[in-house]
Amino acid sequence: MSDSRFLCLEKMTLSYGKNVAVPDMDLDIGKGELVALLGPSGCGKTTTMRAIAGLMEPASGKIVLDGTDITRVPANKRPVGLVFQSYALFPHLNVYENVAFGLKLMGVKGSELDKRVIDGLKTVGLSQYATRKPAELSGGQQQRVSLARSMVMEPKVLLLDEPLSNLDARLRLEMRTELQRVQKESGVTMIFVTHDQVEALAMADRIIVMLDGHIEQIGTPEDIYNHPVSDFVADFVGFENVFERVGNTIKTANGDVAIAGDIDDATKGLAWRPSMVTLGDGPFEGTVRGTSFAGGTREYLLDTPLGQIKAECDASLPAHDFGAVLKFDLPVHKAAQLARTGSL
Amino acid sequence: MFQNRAEAFALVLPAAIFAGAIFLVPVLILLSEGFRSADSWTIQAYIDFFSQSLNQAVFLRTLKLAAMVTAASAVIGYAAAFAIVNLPPKGKGRVTGLIVLPLMISPVARTYAWIVILGRTGIVNQALVAVGLSDEPIRFLFTETAVFIGLLQLFLPLMIISLISALENMPRDAVPAARVLGANWLQVFTKVILPLTKEGLVIGGTLVFTGSMTAYITPAILGGSKVLMLETLLYQRVTMANDFVSASVIALILIVMAFAANLLLKRLATARNKR
Amino acid sequence: MSNKLYAPIILLLVLTFLIGPFIIIIAASLSAGETLSFPPQGLSLRWVIKVFEVESFRASFGVSMFLAIGGTIFALILGIPASYALSRYKVPGAETIRTIVSSPIIVPGIIVGLALLRYFVVPFNFGILFALFLAHTALILPYAVRVVSASLTNLRSDIEEAAVLLGCSRVGAFFRVVMPNIRGGILAAFILGFVTSFNQVPVSLFLSGPGVRTLPIDMLSYMEITYDPSVAALSALLAFMSLGIVFLAERFLGFSRYV
Repeated sequence: MSDSRFLCLEKMTLSYGKNVAVPDMDLDIGKGELVALLGPSGCGKTTTMRAIAGLMEPASGKIVLDGTDITRVPANKRPVGLVFQSYALFPHLNVYENVAFGLKLMGVKGSELDKRVIDGLKTVGLSQYATRKPAELSGGQQQRVSLARSMVMEPKVLLLDEPLSNLDARLRLEMRTELQRVQKESGVTMIFVTHDQVEALAMADRIIVMLDGHIEQIGTPEDIYNHPVSDFVADFVGFENVFERVGNTIKTANGDVAIAGDIDDATKGLAWRPSMVTLGDGPFEGTVRGTSFAGGTREYLLDTPLGQIKAECDASLPAHDFGAVLKFDLPVHKAAQLARTGSL
Repeated sequence: MFQNRAEAFALVLPAAIFAGAIFLVPVLILLSEGFRSADSWTIQAYIDFFSQSLNQAVFLRTLKLAAMVTAASAVIGYAAAFAIVNLPPKGKGRVTGLIVLPLMISPVARTYAWIVILGRTGIVNQALVAVGLSDEPIRFLFTETAVFIGLLQLFLPLMIISLISALENMPRDAVPAARVLGANWLQVFTKVILPLTKEGLVIGGTLVFTGSMTAYITPAILGGSKVLMLETLLYQRVTMANDFVSASVIALILIVMAFAANLLLKRLATARNKR
Repeated sequence: MSNKLYAPIILLLVLTFLIGPFIIIIAASLSAGETLSFPPQGLSLRWVIKVFEVESFRASFGVSMFLAIGGTIFALILGIPASYALSRYKVPGAETIRTIVSSPIIVPGIIVGLALLRYFVVPFNFGILFALFLAHTALILPYAVRVVSASLTNLRSDIEEAAVLLGCSRVGAFFRVVMPNIRGGILAAFILGFVTSFNQVPVSLFLSGPGVRTLPIDMLSYMEITYDPSVAALSALLAFMSLGIVFLAERFLGFSRYV
């Protein structure tokens, strides 16, 4: 076993009755990694996470953790922690008792128990809340208790289900850095599930993009952001203008349109972020159908022979009116060249 | 959702088997007796039952009293529920508590009180004689009026609490909006409140109607053998004549009427809605 | 409606109609006279004391208490696991099972009693008390399932998964995490079941034998013999007992949240 193959899913198939949610998944996760499972709802990311936790038994395939096959190990015997989306704190127990719950079941007692619970609460900055009931805490504090409750068990893998989705925008930012800090300090292998690409890009060492039960792309945040492999990933990370490519043309709603530039032979599609569209000059024309001011930039929705195009330019430039006709270009050298299309 | 079927069945079957064996099966056998003759199935027992004028009278009286109690409780229920939901929160909780309280008290005790009130020497008669409205005590006990009053007191709380929750679930601004649009109070009630609370009315109405129809204690104490209803008739047939066939017939009539009342009220509610 | 007097007047009338009779019954039971009357002819506790002296009342009170407490406990033993399964598992035929379990609420009690008498007590020589116990349990079961199910629905099911991931067995998770959180609902179900069973008449009508009858049935037959105020006194005492239970329940666990 090497550190890069700390947690391995081997041909793992997950199904609900006859419905296969995740077919034949292969995935390796390294020790101490912070990994994001990213995808839209229903893509199988939560199901995958539940299988790793042991809350769901794979129909076939194996789950190997730290060299041990844990496929048939029941959830209560796995060295895996899970922070639930709803936090799932025990309402009848106070913060201290919540955190102590698992340790007590392990047989930890007395001063050892006390020390580990207090340490856990300190890690998440909640020592002074030990006697509060969960209902008396804010969402962010509940999240921290839930995190501490899992961390004190010293799991080999810690799973987090949509850890930031129930928090408001400011807390979300705070919690992001908090989670990263806890992960780096403890060195625990952390996998979190999210549908928010901003969250995944900001936090993860590595991102696994899932779609319809399979892995669409694995890569660093930079890889995923700059070099999406498919139209789906491109669209998901903000390439708003995505086209299929045939030879030197792109397919549009109004037929094939020729396009100039060097394109890799293997490229099946081209995608541009709004910021990559050249506005004011170029071979194409479009009518402004909508504008929105976004602080540093201004975004335009254009009706063009290619279909709708989203473009963006510096907000300090003079704004174009609704109905104005603008020239624009889709420069091939800036485009992301997609190896696969058809998943959108 | 857990998926394990064996576990689920192990948990749920004791209760289901118990209710099935102790309750459902015996009741079904009892109901089947009304259709049994020497060697085949027949509805002769039902024809015989309804051909007797006493039974017809009891059947119609039961229907009439149950319908009257339901109608009266709906009218009083709306008036009371509307007054209650407009109270400040603290008062609302207290008054609702007082309305619900009688439900926790033995129906025997609740019905018994009416003997004190409506009896020959009861306060109503004392008052009537004292004021000079009547020369001698009027007979209230063992009349349909007494049974009606007893049943209304017994079941009115069920209607009121159904309507309270229906009125509270009504969009807050519906009534002011209708008023602003020029509706008078009668129009507000028929066009806004009634359609929006009809589910509460159906639930309350079904509870009151079924409860009145299957009540035993009130007709037994306040009606006696003079004002028989279906349940007291059933009891009489069994204890006096060992007549289990009639008992079975009445049982099925009661069950069918309960379901019919529910369906009818639902139908009325949706019919109003379509207009 | 703009009239501010509308609400107080209607509520006064309705509450007088609903609660007034109890006040009259309490007053009548304090009468010193021989017959039931209001206003009471002089004040005395003689009828209240008499209630405790009537042998059959003491016996039937015991029967009713046994049925109400024992029947409710048994109904909860059957009902809690069933409610749990129906709310947490995908049970095949869940709707059918729910209908079977709650059917005693739909069918008139008198029929249940008669059916039990005809097909259990007579042919199998069941004791009356045992039959009464079964009938009352069946009657309480729907209430137990309804109230416990409601509090289970209000409890997130992921806390059980959390408990399992922290090392609990499934059964352990139920007792450590679920039970403490539905305790209020179970107590509410117990009180509702107790009151329902204790006040129940129709189911017990046919299931009465020598020496075994419930208190309300006993009161009914006592009333057939005499109209003396002791039944009024007993009614008043029972009313106070019910009120006391409900008051304590409301005070300590906010009973009305669960019913």
